[in-house]
Amino acid sequence: MLIQFLLLAAVAVLIFVFVRHWNTARTRAWKRLAFLAFCVANAYAVLRPGDTTKVAHWVGVGRGTDLVLYLLVVGVTMLALNTYLRFRVMERRLTELARDTALRTAQRPDPERPLAAVEGDRTP
Amino acid sequence: MVVTATPALGRRRAYRDVWIIIPVYNEAPVIGGVVTEVLRTFPNVVCVDDGSSDGSAERIAATRAHLLRHPVNLGQGAALETGLRYALAQPGAERFVTFDADGQHRVDDVLAMLDLAGQRSADVVLGSRFLGPEGEVPWQKRIVLRTAAAVSPTARRLKLSDAHNGLRLFNRKAASRLHITMNGMAHASEITGFLARSGLRVAEAPVTIRYTDYSRTKGQSLMNGVNILFDLSFTNKKG
Repeated sequence: MLIQFLLLAAVAVLIFVFVRHWNTARTRAWKRLAFLAFCVANAYAVLRPGDTTKVAHWVGVGRGTDLVLYLLVVGVTMLALNTYLRFRVMERRLTELARDTALRTAQRPDPERPLAAVEGDRTP
Repeated sequence: MVVTATPALGRRRAYRDVWIIIPVYNEAPVIGGVVTEVLRTFPNVVCVDDGSSDGSAERIAATRAHLLRHPVNLGQGAALETGLRYALAQPGAERFVTFDADGQHRVDDVLAMLDLAGQRSADVVLGSRFLGPEGEVPWQKRIVLRTAAAVSPTARRLKLSDAHNGLRLFNRKAASRLHITMNGMAHASEITGFLARSGLRVAEAPVTIRYTDYSRTKGQSLMNGVNILFDLSFTNKKG
């Protein structure tokens, strides 16, 4: 069925785009265009709900509702992947920031301090 | 505890080029003792407090170790990387040892690893729990670690018997080429992966782990292995 091909292709494209060049200016532009298309399709589906079923029939899906559900799954997957990768970048930045702070505020030992253990420590 | 000053001082002078890097996360009950014990042999110790909330940093500040503090908790891999960067920038630093904070590692094993690196002119020496007597390793742990070493392609290529031991020795060449990007526990696999690709001379040395009740409660769980695999599967695909 056409829908199977379309959905599998969508997943493949998403994985490739996000894992390879997910944050280039071009991908960002595509994300915005996709969002715009999503809004237009939304408005259209609200105004003419019968048409989603027509489109669904073209691609081999029984009901318009099912088609919307399938597309929703692709959309959610995209969102999850996007968020995950974005968090990773944030984590890398946070690491660099924290490391920089740690290195700048390094406490050198006082050479006068005795070597002996601190009271109350138990030797492991 | 009595500290005998004279022999320790001579020994300490001989290891002035060695830096011991200890990542610390919530180890307040033992860290002071661990650091003090290491300092008796090695003059240069840097502890990286990885955002501990139990006063570990204060314990370290009371010793003669260098103290770095991550403002937030990042993970053991990140702490090791920070400590290595710091130690590499210190004048005269030539050899770098990563050492666990919970007291499971022994200073004698570090000395043996330094000797081995000299004898075999190795760039890197990794501690292995399985080269010596295995009696100390609890059997569940033995199965997990053996499996980890067996399924890891890089550990196989390097013929390692233990891919997840925290006791490691790097010379300057190896330490300056190593960049740990895995903040969490996946850094162990990241390090062996780097070593397998690097062409550095890697040796393994037998170490004995002190499995105290304290370190037992802190060890890696089996489920953490799942996290490690997940982190690693995304390592080489960053855009």
